[in-house]
Amino acid sequence: MSNSAVGPVYDTIISEVINAVRVDFEENGIEDGVLEILKTKWQSKLSQMKVAQFPWEPKPEPQPAPAAANNGPATTAAPTAAPATANYSQPTMSPQGAAQTLSLPGALLPSTNGVALKQDPGIVNTEPAIKQEPGTGMPPIHPAYNPANAAPGTAAQRAAQALQSQYGQRAAASINAIHSGMASQMNGNAQVQQSTRPGQAPQHMSPQQQYRQGVAAVVQQRMQQVSHAGAPNGLPTAQFDGPNDAAEDASLPQGSGSGHPPFMNREMIDQHFHAQLAARAKQMEGGGLMLPLKDATEHPSLAASRQGEGPAQLDGGDDGIKSEEDEDAINSDLDDTDEDKDDDEDDDENMGHMMLCMYDKVQRVKNKWKCILKDGVLTVNGKEYVFHKATGEYEW
Amino acid sequence: MASGSTNFYDLYRHGSLGVSLTDALDELIGDERIDPQLAMKVLTQFDRIIAETLQEKVKARLTFKGSLDTYRFCDEVWTFLIRNVSFKLDNGGQAIQADKVKIVSCSAKRTEDK
Repeated sequence: MSNSAVGPVYDTIISEVINAVRVDFEENGIEDGVLEILKTKWQSKLSQMKVAQFPWEPKPEPQPAPAAANNGPATTAAPTAAPATANYSQPTMSPQGAAQTLSLPGALLPSTNGVALKQDPGIVNTEPAIKQEPGTGMPPIHPAYNPANAAPGTAAQRAAQALQSQYGQRAAASINAIHSGMASQMNGNAQVQQSTRPGQAPQHMSPQQQYRQGVAAVVQQRMQQVSHAGAPNGLPTAQFDGPNDAAEDASLPQGSGSGHPPFMNREMIDQHFHAQLAARAKQMEGGGLMLPLKDATEHPSLAASRQGEGPAQLDGGDDGIKSEEDEDAINSDLDDTDEDKDDDEDDDENMGHMMLCMYDKVQRVKNKWKCILKDGVLTVNGKEYVFHKATGEYEW
Repeated sequence: MASGSTNFYDLYRHGSLGVSLTDALDELIGDERIDPQLAMKVLTQFDRIIAETLQEKVKARLTFKGSLDTYRFCDEVWTFLIRNVSFKLDNGGQAIQADKVKIVSCSAKRTEDK
């Protein structure tokens, strides 16, 4: 039993060292008592380490005390092991904590204000589960808002979304003008046919409808210019069906009445421009120096996802793919730092388990190593062992 | 073998025995009971005596297996970091497990040559 051999061996070493330096102490004119103090201090410090049972310590009872001696180092070893595991768990926990705090603003943002909505996709990109929200989560927040409009997720749609959340019902006219403008560009006269269909708008008189339609045509042209200037690439093909017009019919009389829709819309256009500019300014600011690196790196991917959405973009699936890529990028960074911390801990923690020895032979065949070691001291789990010869085999 | 005290490694000073001796010497130096030169002499004697004693008095053998995490060979010193190690003592007792062990090993040849 090499652990029980440690006590006598260490005692021998201490005695021999003390005897060997006695001459040196005498030559330096140091009295013998100091040498005895040195020996006592050495022994007591070694006993405090509790790496083994030493002869100079009071002999324990034959049966129960070895168990107590075994328990002593075990309990002292437990606290040293506990911080190690705590250190381990700390770096692995922190990325999760960061991810949670990242996803939190994404969940809160839709209810803040309209301009911040522009950033919503960028932040939501980190969390695929929340990515579904523009499609499914928004309608409960804005009941008057048409879910079908949110699905394409283009810049124009987002502008409309921003208007909607900022001005509520009052903006419904211009929002619908945006949508109908996009639709009419694709469909030509289909919009007129749809809106004059009796099933679509049963509660309106047709003369009033036609008047508004004439006004709306002017507005549409204007809004097309707006949407061209504000969002050059946001012209989806998604608006083939009628729900948009139904929403227009339902919301126009409530929002602005039939009084002066052109005036209201001009005001809304200004608001629309302002919102767009504010959003862009915010984006440029964010893409530059004003944001933390974490947020700033998200914006290029946000811009890329916007430009990447061509006319064929009918649903939000593309965003999901991009969000996965973003997530990979963030995680890989965190993983790297994790590994670095891991390596650092290896160096910090090595006092706990260490073998000091001589080597006779170190052989390696491919990844298999074989070592013949000798004259070693091994410290493991708070216990110390001495050996004359040790052979180790391990794979790299 | 035990010719000059400078021929021995000081790596055992990093073990419990060496650390406790160093601490004791530091206290004596702090109390101005001994001077640092004498403490260095004590440590060199310790280097020699622990090497000789381990070689002559200890007969125990052990084997160990594990997965090598890091290896390093610099200035004739091997350093291994081994994970999931299990040590087996020659008395057939239960294996000692450790999640990782650092091995610092100097060449046995150098002490024998001198």
